[in-house]
Amino acid sequence: MFTLYKTYCPIVGPFDPCNPILEKTYSTPPNLYIGFQPPNLPQFTPLEALRAGTLWKPFYDPYYNPFEEAKGGLPR
Amino acid sequence: MKQIPPEYYQMMEQLQAVDFVLVELTLYLDTHPNDLEAIKQFNHYAKERKTLKKAFESQFGPLMQYGNSYSGHPWNWNEPPWPWQV
Repeated sequence: MFTLYKTYCPIVGPFDPCNPILEKTYSTPPNLYIGFQPPNLPQFTPLEALRAGTLWKPFYDPYYNPFEEAKGGLPR
Repeated sequence: MKQIPPEYYQMMEQLQAVDFVLVELTLYLDTHPNDLEAIKQFNHYAKERKTLKKAFESQFGPLMQYGNSYSGHPWNWNEPPWPWQV
């Protein structure tokens, strides 16, 4: 199963002017992993789909900024 | 001061939800033309949207123009509330 966020650690040089950023996060939405959409995926109800932004459950990605306090915990 | 009744918002939300489902299904069916289940669902929601539109318009006036909606008497497509006033 894939994760919605991944992190990497940039190189920290000895001459960096500012204090280094140790860990950076980037978003990896579900469509990267699902590829060509198979038929009959589980769906949201119309009202939920309107809020979720997609009709099919596997494609749901709330895309919370990692620094935001996401509803229901930070999807790491 | 003309108030917008709460059921305006409920019916509008349902209409928007069905519209969103139709948009999603259209995009899906563009790449999956043979998916019968999705086509059945699409037709079901298309039919449902017609009834929702009929109900909404009978109460709050036309939604679209140029024959896409029936008109009341007198000619009332330019009646408030407009989308930005809702």
